[in-house]
Amino acid sequence: MAESLLSLGGVSRVYGTGVEVHALRNVSIDIRTGDLLSIVGPSGSGKSTLLGLLGLLDLPTSGVVTVQGRDATSLSDAERSRLRGEAIGFVFQQFHLIPHLTALANVETALLYRGLSAGERSRRAFEALERLGLGDRHDHRPVQLSGGEQQRVAIARAIVTEPLVVLADEPTGALDTANAANIMEIFDGLQSPERAVCIVTHDRDVARSTQRQISMLDGEVVADEEQATSRVIGP
Amino acid sequence: MRRFRELVRVAAAGLMARKVRTLLIMLGPILGVAAIVAAIGINESSKGYLKAKLQELGTDLIVANAQDSIGGFGQNPRIPAEAVVRVSRLPDVTSVTGTLQIANIVTLPFEAAYDYYRAFPVPVIATGLNLPQTMEVPLVSGRFLNDFDVASEARVAVIGRDLADEYGYLPGEARTISLNGIHYGVVGVLDWVLLEPSMDSAVFITFPTAERDWDTDGQDPTRLYIRAPTNTQWVAEEVPTVVSLGGPDGARTSIPTDLLDAQSQVDESLNNLTKMMGGLALIVGGVGIANVMSISVIQRSSEIGIRRALGHSRSTIAVQFLFEALTVGVLGGILGAAVGAGVVWLTSEARGYVMVLSVPGLALWALVSVGVAVVAGLYPSTKAARLEPLETLRLG
Repeated sequence: MAESLLSLGGVSRVYGTGVEVHALRNVSIDIRTGDLLSIVGPSGSGKSTLLGLLGLLDLPTSGVVTVQGRDATSLSDAERSRLRGEAIGFVFQQFHLIPHLTALANVETALLYRGLSAGERSRRAFEALERLGLGDRHDHRPVQLSGGEQQRVAIARAIVTEPLVVLADEPTGALDTANAANIMEIFDGLQSPERAVCIVTHDRDVARSTQRQISMLDGEVVADEEQATSRVIGP
Repeated sequence: MRRFRELVRVAAAGLMARKVRTLLIMLGPILGVAAIVAAIGINESSKGYLKAKLQELGTDLIVANAQDSIGGFGQNPRIPAEAVVRVSRLPDVTSVTGTLQIANIVTLPFEAAYDYYRAFPVPVIATGLNLPQTMEVPLVSGRFLNDFDVASEARVAVIGRDLADEYGYLPGEARTISLNGIHYGVVGVLDWVLLEPSMDSAVFITFPTAERDWDTDGQDPTRLYIRAPTNTQWVAEEVPTVVSLGGPDGARTSIPTDLLDAQSQVDESLNNLTKMMGGLALIVGGVGIANVMSISVIQRSSEIGIRRALGHSRSTIAVQFLFEALTVGVLGGILGAAVGAGVVWLTSEARGYVMVLSVPGLALWALVSVGVAVVAGLYPSTKAARLEPLETLRLG
């Protein structure tokens, strides 16, 4: 039985005070262990807002966000930040590596302020890079890496903390087809019985390659369905 | 502690990534602290020589000049010999010497120099026998005037060191000096008298000889040198009373080292001015830090967003940026203090000062720089902490 890792219960998010924009209306999503799901929808459908809420970067106007059954909306910033660091790993469209740090230091950034020794941090960061085939590039800065390599560093950074959920925002959006296929393979590989992978995308091909697909439109979930087959995009 | 080290490392990496910018914002604290340290250091060092001299001289010599207690009516006031005895009996006084300068004597090493020495007369001083003890000055060679010289009214003289050099006097040489044509035998050379430089080129003779040869109208001195190691100030105030005892004789006392002491005092107003200017430089430097770091926070908003996404809390982000400011302040302060100290050292070397540099002062100004940097870093740090990660990460 898959257990719930991250769930939104009746969540609404309203921006602005004078002119109100309802970015999300009464959305309920439950991300469970073993999930490889995609959230699709056109621009303005509320994907980004949803990602912010799932990633504990934002708070809902109403409704609850729970992590393993624990309410995250009532936590202080420090507690929520800690929970975010432990439970969620982010992968962004623009990679968002810190430009002045090496690949290894970028991955290590996710392990800071957790009471780990410097040696332990770099050992774990190096292992994560190795896992993504970048062990020999650990001392390169982001500008010295290709787009696909940068995204793999970003994935290493997301998984080095052993998060419950990997949240990816258009992870293939800035990549060519071959690199995109490679990244999707990696996401396939990240899926495990203890973990969930959630990809937010407007790319139908990417969405079709996941087991579960949630469709958004105008701030509401219009479909949440398991797909019979998963197909990896690419040539 | 581990968290502290991590923060320092993250801040250092942030600063190292933009070396030129870091150096530029560090210039403010460096210049400010260096200016203050250098100005104060040079000011104090320029007085350091006087201070060292004061240390050497001691501050317990009193000079008493005869003066009519009624004020200005009597010509050529003198201090009666019995008054000198009274002064010497004061409990804090260890030594008293009376002197009398004799006017209108042309002193010559040899006849040919007559015109020169008439134009620039050498002082001739009748003195008590314990002058070297009272002035605490040794003889370079020979002996000082003694009881035998007094008893025999011998025509012997001791000369100051500068005069000895001027006359080409060799130690131990049997030589005479001509006072208005009367030859005196030179028996000794007195070393430099720092507190009374006029003695360096003077001729000293005994009172009885002076009275016999130069008609000094008795043997009363016009000036007393009084050594009082304890209660110096009090003795200086009492001596006029002790001399006059209500009578017509009087004396005015001074402590020559007081003047040196005053000169050796650091010019406070100049110091304050330089402190203010250095402080201004520090404040401007602080504004520079705040300014540049604010822009830096905007430029690094994506980094801040990532860090937030990776689980760093708002306060961690704030502390990270505050540490960057702190590092700028600490390094700027230390470098500034070092540069300032270097300037003081160079100046002292070049001008022959005794270098005076207060180490607590250096630390204090470095700390001020740290304080300024931290205050300057507060605004950018708060700004960094308040950034919304969702806005900086451009999701979706």
